[in-house]
Amino acid sequence: MSSGIHVFETMGTVASLVIPGADRALFEQIERVFADHDARFSLYRADSEISRIARGELVLSRSSEPLRAAYTEAIGWRTSTAGAFDPYRPDGVLDLSGVVKALAIHAARSAVVGAGLDDALLSVGGDGVALGRRRSRADSGRTPADSAAYAPWMAGIVDPENREHLLGAVPLHPGRAAIATSGTAERGEHVWRRSDPSSRTEAPYRQVTVRAADIVTADVLATAILSGGAETLSDACSQWNIDVLTVDASNGLTATPGFRRELTVGARLSA
Amino acid sequence: MRRRAAIASALSATVVLIVGWELGASARTSIPTATDVSAPTTGDAASGGSASGDAGSGDNSAAASAGAAASATATPSPAVTAPDSSTASGTYTGSDVQTRFGDVQVQVVVANGSITDVVALALTDDENRSRQISARAAPILRTEVLAAQSSQVQMVSGATYTSEAYLTSLQAALDQAGLS
Repeated sequence: MSSGIHVFETMGTVASLVIPGADRALFEQIERVFADHDARFSLYRADSEISRIARGELVLSRSSEPLRAAYTEAIGWRTSTAGAFDPYRPDGVLDLSGVVKALAIHAARSAVVGAGLDDALLSVGGDGVALGRRRSRADSGRTPADSAAYAPWMAGIVDPENREHLLGAVPLHPGRAAIATSGTAERGEHVWRRSDPSSRTEAPYRQVTVRAADIVTADVLATAILSGGAETLSDACSQWNIDVLTVDASNGLTATPGFRRELTVGARLSA
Repeated sequence: MRRRAAIASALSATVVLIVGWELGASARTSIPTATDVSAPTTGDAASGGSASGDAGSGDNSAAASAGAAASATATPSPAVTAPDSSTASGTYTGSDVQTRFGDVQVQVVVANGSITDVVALALTDDENRSRQISARAAPILRTEVLAAQSSQVQMVSGATYTSEAYLTSLQAALDQAGLS
């Protein structure tokens, strides 16, 4: 039997899948999910549908159903984040990469469920979603009914000051199964600052991590808070059921109660 | 019990805020904080929740964390003082309100007669435990955060890395460890 781990390049980054019990066909199916999303939505590919829209060769109303669905999703988030998340670049080009990676991860999750498996950790370029609970290696001989053999999937949060260190770790479990981090340290592909001069005075966050029930919410809100600053953070915390950890320009941390509890006294880090 | 009645009355005002927050989908209303709450001068315990907290008890973990939050973040001095009490301390929990998060209760933390924090609790089905729903972010110190080793996690969340940067990332080390 395979190790249940599969790593591949996609969307300019790397996907790491941990799916105990998965066969080769499922991993290939998930690779295709990402490849299809990339082929349609990548502005780095001249032949993608989104590039044709950017060049004015195709109008949105005549675009494919998946593209219009992603567009509708992105515009919905622009509205609910009061513009902090915006699929339009400052130069007016429609860039759906802010939702597409998360939508692909979500589709991959559906593929796992469709294959009848209920334990998985799917992460792509630092954003991920967990399904079920992990079975620890040491306890792999125990029966599935033995709950002691299982522990929640744990996600570490990287320290932007030293990317070989973790700021801390939090469990991923139903209701908080997804985690996403946006930052200025590495690729900032779909993050652009608001042009409103009044918001420039706020110290921008260097890194924002959001844990939520689903990966789209986590990913979009991490981007929105990184872009919109403290005002968006406050709005998001009152509007959505999420946990947020921010790192500001001077490396100060803020955390919502759900994160603070688990990063300080409540974390269960038993390996 | 008179002062508890006054607190319960403050609670009912808070509960109304929560309901408004739920109903007003477009009108954005933040979770009420201590400074949002004004304590009415007349008590009306019957319409509010039952103020069942016992003074000085800090065994509720959510309440304890709320208190810790208040001290850790140097929350401004409480703007609200329960009218006729000077020494009441404890945690008081209001009645259930239906929201999109499920049943929600409001918990008020009182120290020496002053409301120091108002916390919205969501009542989860599992284990009948209450937990705090999303609330404002507050500063924490790095020294407060438990050190975590990459051996204790199965994924690393960080800003999106390029394929090249992946090679030197913690995630790559994790993947290697799992694959070997």
